Amino acid sequence: MTIVYSVILMGVLGLSFGIFLAFSAKKFEVKEDPRVKMIVEVLPGANCGACGYAGCEAYARAVVANKAKPTLCLPGKASGVSEKIKEILENSGKS
Amino acid sequence: MSRIFLILLSALLVNNYVFIKFLGICPFLGVSKKMDTAVGMGFAATFVLVMSSVITWFVNILLVKMGLEFLTIITFILVIATFVQFVELFLRKNSPGLYEALGIYLPLITTNCIILGVAILNAQQSYSLLESVFHALGAGLGFLLALVIFAGMRERLELYDLPKPFEGVPIALILASIMSMAFMGFQGLIRL
Repeated sequence: MTIVYSVILMGVLGLSFGIFLAFSAKKFEVKEDPRVKMIVEVLPGANCGACGYAGCEAYARAVVANKAKPTLCLPGKASGVSEKIKEILENSGKS
Repeated sequence: MSRIFLILLSALLVNNYVFIKFLGICPFLGVSKKMDTAVGMGFAATFVLVMSSVITWFVNILLVKMGLEFLTIITFILVIATFVQFVELFLRKNSPGLYEALGIYLPLITTNCIILGVAILNAQQSYSLLESVFHALGAGLGFLLALVIFAGMRERLELYDLPKPFEGVPIALILASIMSMAFMGFQGLIRL
């Protein structure tokens, strides 16, 4: 019986807090530069940290903010990720 | 009424969580370099403390009724983590500067021992709801007080020409020990 109660209690608590957080995430949504999302999609997504940032998203933000060079991604070098990032940055500059 | 005031004062000064009980040292040393981040951190932690102590009070009643006291820690951590996430979302929207300045220390409020400690102490001492809230408020304001005093001192220390081995964290640790000795002076101020 104890097991059933614990599962029910934790399930209910977890679900209600999850709903609360999902709701507040929508309410406090921050509009980000669309280029960040585009660059994240181009990056390999391994979150390896070889670029010196906390993850692919942090690196993408730094690139958009002009704090990092677009050539720092090591795992994506062979497949031409740096060129794609440069392209994204240049294209958005024109339009 | 006087008991509530005593609980507040006790958590704030006599049993200051940073200087006397040595809980929450990581953010205390990490974000006390600048005054604005120290104040922001103090208020964020106070908010999380008060909110989580309210929720954990109700959750604790439920746990005791169902005979599931062994789940105390895990449910309390769940409640605390939720409120930390909420604060993070809120700050990111309303105060991006502070969000950037706090950096990794903001999500780390989740593992701040003060918050879990206060929630568990509330349950152990079987405080009423009002007493729990004031205990949490006292702990939060005590944390804020410690951070503000320490940040003020560290900002001034930057201007001094210290011997090389003492620069940065070493002198901060020495300072913290002297501060905690100073706070020993509050011992025996009140008795609960």
